[in-house]
Amino acid sequence: MDNPILELDEVVGGYGRITILHGTSFRVRRGAIITIIGPNGAGKSTVFKAIFGLLNLSSGTIRFNGTDITGWSPRRLLEAGIVYVPQGRNIFPELSVRHNLEFGAVAAGPDITDMPARIEAALDRFPSLRQKADQQASTLSGGQQKQLEIMRGLLLDPKLILIDEPSIGLSPLLVQETFGILTDLRNRGVTILMVEQNARSALEMSDEGLVLELGRTRMQGPAREILHDPRVAQLFLGGAMAEVE
Amino acid sequence: MAEFIAYLIAGLATGAIYALAAIGFTLVWQTSQTINFAQGEFVMLPAILILAMVGFLGAPFWLATVLGIALFVLLFGWGFKIVIVDPMIRHGVLPLAIATMALAIIMKEGAKDGFSAEAQNFPSFLPVQTISLGGVSISLQHIAIILVACAAIGGLQWFVTRTKTGRQMQAAAQNPNVALVLGIPVARMVMLTFLINAGLAALASVLISPIYLAKFSNGEVIGLFAFIAAIVGGFNQVRGALAGGLIVGVIDSLAAAYISTSYRLAVPLVLLVIIILVKPEGLFGRKEERRV
Repeated sequence: MDNPILELDEVVGGYGRITILHGTSFRVRRGAIITIIGPNGAGKSTVFKAIFGLLNLSSGTIRFNGTDITGWSPRRLLEAGIVYVPQGRNIFPELSVRHNLEFGAVAAGPDITDMPARIEAALDRFPSLRQKADQQASTLSGGQQKQLEIMRGLLLDPKLILIDEPSIGLSPLLVQETFGILTDLRNRGVTILMVEQNARSALEMSDEGLVLELGRTRMQGPAREILHDPRVAQLFLGGAMAEVE
Repeated sequence: MAEFIAYLIAGLATGAIYALAAIGFTLVWQTSQTINFAQGEFVMLPAILILAMVGFLGAPFWLATVLGIALFVLLFGWGFKIVIVDPMIRHGVLPLAIATMALAIIMKEGAKDGFSAEAQNFPSFLPVQTISLGGVSISLQHIAIILVACAAIGGLQWFVTRTKTGRQMQAAAQNPNVALVLGIPVARMVMLTFLINAGLAALASVLISPIYLAKFSNGEVIGLFAFIAAIVGGFNQVRGALAGGLIVGVIDSLAAAYISTSYRLAVPLVLLVIIILVKPEGLFGRKEERRV
């Protein structure tokens, strides 16, 4: 793969004495949607924490656009163009929707002078958020909250988005809507690295798939191939997928 | 009636002091899960430091006040977090709470041995006259304390809700993990709450000491009532701590006047028990669930 946007090389790390990533290595193609799948405990979310400077690594290297970013703080990574949308609800329920959105600009450097206009543009893109801009974020539905999180992450014009389980707790319709937003971003040149339990739907809209098991990369390739690989279905996607095969 | 109004105003004045201490209490709890059982001593000590600077350094009172408050905020805002909270919180809320109990004893005994065991006069920056209004004797000092404390709390509320830094402080308190991911300097925001807590305690000290005199044991009652005020109002809300402080102050004042001076301390405790039984999240608090 030429000129990957992100490279992990033999990354080892975990929580306290428990090692989760046992030498994880992979490369992420620029301008693609890559979905990481794998069984529980494979280290999918831990990979994101490792990339985003939230995990102490005992060895290994992480490079973004060719620059070694291993151990960088979240703020520095945001400035470099990486955004992380963690699993679950990541809003501040007692603050207004607008104030929640403004937090996406915390890491903005002095050269970004059009932030108010970007915030207005983000609200314009989602009329339902615009309507509730001055209400507490707790009044948003689950789907709207996820939209708010994604919009917040886009204020700094990131080059790479790490998004963990975007479909969790959303209705099928809202999952499609959220995946639609991600596809739209990919079409505009943003690279998306996603962890998703809803593996079939996620792989169907992805360019590539990456299979993680016990903290190691077991397989990486075009999403369609991963989706239809009987070993993957057997090992990671549960009985239903195996029957399809 | 005139007597009742006078007691009411006196209660609101001491209640405003409890509110200042209670708000600091809730702030450090929200951002760092610190239950500071030395909060009363935090209100006691600044006045002692100021008097010590006047006595030992010969500094004019205004300069001693500025230096004393600055030294207190440095030692018991920044220093408290670095030396006690950060190392202890890794072991859990309870060890830290016990450490603050030890700190309270050290501060109290240190003030007694290092400065004086006797109550000392503390000059007032506020007017001390009493005026008569419609037959009611009103202490201007009490009115001024209420106004200054309310202005400080209003200013704090404005800062927390209307400024970007204040909202980042709220974010760091509500969900530090998400705040970190957004690039919010969580550690700096938490430190800011400790500095604000020390500042509020120092203000309370300067306001209350002209009435109570500066004495090493002042923190016992103030700490207890600030704790009760925070729980009565709601441990997770600034406005709750304000309301709790005023309610406790008024109840204490009226209990002393109309029930018994001997049992006055018990009345706010009875209120505490009732609130815990009937509305454990406090009058203005929100229900919280924590995983243990």
